[in-house]
Amino acid sequence: MGTKDRYERLREQATTSERDSSPHTLLAVVSLAISLLLLAPLVWVFLRAGEIEFARAVELLTSDTTVSVTLNTLALVTGVTVASILIGVPLAILTAQTDLPFKRFWTITSALPLVVPSYIGAFAFVSAFGPRGVLADLLSPLGIEQIPTIYGLHGAILVLTLFTYPYVFLTTRASLLSFDGTVVEAARTLNHTRWEAFRRVTLPQIAPGIAAGALLVALYALSDFGTPAIMQYDVFTRMIYNEFGARRLDYASVLSMLLLVMALGILAVESRLSAGRDGAYVSSGSRRPGLIRLGYWKVPALLFCGAIATLCLVLPIGILLQWLLRSGTGYSAGGFAFEAAYAWNSVGLAAAAAAICVVAALPIAYLSARGTSGVSSLPERATYVGYAVPGVVLGLALVYLGLRYVPFLYQSVILLVFAYVIRFLPQAVGTTESSILQVDPGYIEAARSLGYHPLSAFRKVVLPLVAPGIAAGAALVFLTTMKELPATLMLRPTGFETFVTYIWLVQGAGYYGQAAVPALVLVGLSGLSMLVILRREDTS
Amino acid sequence: MTGRNATQSRRRFLALGSATAATALAGCSGILSGGDGGDGGSDGEAGTTTGQQISLSDFRGSGPLVAQREAPGGTSIEDLPDLSGELTLYLGGGEGGLYLDLINLLEQRYPDFTANHRLEASSDLANTIIEENEAGASPADVFMSIDAGSLGAVANADATASLPDEALSTVPDAYQDSEGRWVGIAGRARAIPYNTNQISESDIPSTVQEFPEAAALENSMGWAPSYGAFQSFVTAMRLIRGNDETMSWLQAMQDHGITTYDDEFRVSNSCADGELAAGFANHYYTLRVQSARENSPIGLAFTEGDAGALVNVSGLEIINGTDNADLASNFVRHVLSAEAQEFFATRTFAYPMIPGVAPVGDLPRIDELNPPEINLTELADVAGTVDLLRDAGVL
Repeated sequence: MGTKDRYERLREQATTSERDSSPHTLLAVVSLAISLLLLAPLVWVFLRAGEIEFARAVELLTSDTTVSVTLNTLALVTGVTVASILIGVPLAILTAQTDLPFKRFWTITSALPLVVPSYIGAFAFVSAFGPRGVLADLLSPLGIEQIPTIYGLHGAILVLTLFTYPYVFLTTRASLLSFDGTVVEAARTLNHTRWEAFRRVTLPQIAPGIAAGALLVALYALSDFGTPAIMQYDVFTRMIYNEFGARRLDYASVLSMLLLVMALGILAVESRLSAGRDGAYVSSGSRRPGLIRLGYWKVPALLFCGAIATLCLVLPIGILLQWLLRSGTGYSAGGFAFEAAYAWNSVGLAAAAAAICVVAALPIAYLSARGTSGVSSLPERATYVGYAVPGVVLGLALVYLGLRYVPFLYQSVILLVFAYVIRFLPQAVGTTESSILQVDPGYIEAARSLGYHPLSAFRKVVLPLVAPGIAAGAALVFLTTMKELPATLMLRPTGFETFVTYIWLVQGAGYYGQAAVPALVLVGLSGLSMLVILRREDTS
Repeated sequence: MTGRNATQSRRRFLALGSATAATALAGCSGILSGGDGGDGGSDGEAGTTTGQQISLSDFRGSGPLVAQREAPGGTSIEDLPDLSGELTLYLGGGEGGLYLDLINLLEQRYPDFTANHRLEASSDLANTIIEENEAGASPADVFMSIDAGSLGAVANADATASLPDEALSTVPDAYQDSEGRWVGIAGRARAIPYNTNQISESDIPSTVQEFPEAAALENSMGWAPSYGAFQSFVTAMRLIRGNDETMSWLQAMQDHGITTYDDEFRVSNSCADGELAAGFANHYYTLRVQSARENSPIGLAFTEGDAGALVNVSGLEIINGTDNADLASNFVRHVLSAEAQEFFATRTFAYPMIPGVAPVGDLPRIDELNPPEINLTELADVAGTVDLLRDAGVL
């Protein structure tokens, strides 16, 4: 019945949109312009790839290594995505819909792993579970000489999952918070068990949110270099990185194109999966469903939340503290003190990127959610492509294009923020769109019938309802910008340092003790901003 | 030297200069252009300096490896013209961060001198400079890199300007570009860190070619094939023995059992941990492990005359189109001064590039190493190496 209901609504909507086609056309034009602007830098990849001989390109793409590395990459992406759903969705439900004790605390600890830069997270795992790591040291007096290796596919999946599942957590949570709880109550009155009510009512409702988060996880796993490298698992980004190291940009570009093809494949899969989202009830409201009482499940639920928080937060922070304490002679301070300005630079950049992304995401997400033709979700799909581009590829593309077409912006903060928007806009688009999908278009009709202009109807009715999605999007963009490294290094103004460039600098120099303090501050500061955002989310 | 307004630090350096003379007697004379306590200050703007007092001990590191060193020989910065003005410096490589200490010291010494630095991975900066040069002019005045290959790539793209003869003349020919487009400032020897509890130095063959037959190294070695220094080593092997033999060696090493790491500091640390019996790494990582973890069971062996004995350099070059050529030249001379070279030797544990300064600890002198005869600029051909590593299934 849901599907039919939805189609009828769409038809209704189509007829109304004919009536006021001008706002929709305007929306389409704006969205298209934004997505074209964001895709423009990728032209560079094609320009460079064109410099390679065709036969050589084919040889490169069909070599045994390329094929096996491609399979490795797909295995990693699939594993990380599935595992993230298995962790992120239960956490979101526990913190949003149950009587779990200390819910706000667990909400924050569940979202926070996203702020841990992957190179610190992966390093912490190797220090703890690697050969001769902390765990091995603890077990060796017990006569256990060998522990299973942390390196390889399983280690890479584990570490990437633990630091990216918050994408699924946040988007799912946003969906849970903005959907109308009374439908669950209704299902319960119709003699549905909790599980049936969840499967038949809640799950279809939050599916777009889960899909949006899972897509971000999959594309992140595809484009990440640091974690697989530390976990000694060979993936595609390492091939690209090696070609950059060899200063062979044409090869790197051909390989980047293959990476983009994989990203498009992931997008296509996600599109097919969430085509089913039309089956979702289009219903939303501020009425929360009654809390699910956990009963005996309270203890396992708490253990689950605690275990995840321990692995994702306590462990890396513990390793950072260990760095701090171990800073003996060889780690001793050099001449580079951390300056408060670096922190403000990071925060300023992240805030700017988040603000621009939220504004740019709104028309794109709205068009995609409410658009009636097949092409209306094209701009939305297009924004995801930028997310799959490794930072170093995007960085050099913007160096090249910036120098030629906007030299006055070269090595300026503006170009850097533009890079962040290219990389992270889909995070805002995804969360915003899944919230809009849950708003009953009838609300707007009602507002219009009361004589409101379409824009002010949108502002007064839709915007408050999608605010949680927008806040989650802003949080995601803010947090990921704070820890972004490759594009920041390549595009920042000379002499402009941030948290991550400073950590990179001292870590590269081997001064781990000095890296610990700013890394801890980075996590702390991001945690605070998370607190603010989650609080706003709750009151909206 | 006309030391009428000399500051105290200046006098301290003069005292240091006479100590230098002793080093010069020890067999390092000839290249010393000044600093031996007398007449080297003809181009120095004597006495105008009002900067903080910076002494040799500021340049020199500390700890057990550095104790009881003799004074460095070579040209003292006291005998060089003052640095003055703003220099834009592209600084390549993670370890390049260590060099910031030196830049900071120079900035303290010369209040009128500012170095705007930009620190990134060497190959990224090389790519950037080449793009910038093609698009017009690079904002960079000087490119300082831990990797001769990156310097060579920029030079081969015609993006460099000429270096001062005073700088080129102090550095042995092997450690500068044959056309003088870049010059080495610190040397990094390929070496074999090993765990002294697990094997002894005699277990390590004297050429890397014999490693796949060495029983003691079976299933217990580590390397970092995506690391630039390792790729330079493989490039050197290709230049010496050709692609086919290099390929067989890579495959034989894999058959012998070898673990992959992402950088050589971790390879060296893993040797100290006992995770590995031995590894392929630059020499200074072992010294840094020793310095950070006293009494850790890690030793350092060198092979002879083959790619495994390659000595690569950090270096610098002046970038084409700079409007700061004089300052850039003067800066290069400062980096090759006695004090700066002492800095590289004692703070980064690198091989100094001027003969008057000795490496730290028990390291063999640079002229006691037995490196292969290789033109370091040819190490720029990393692309062929990456192909080979990939075909061998190593990358």
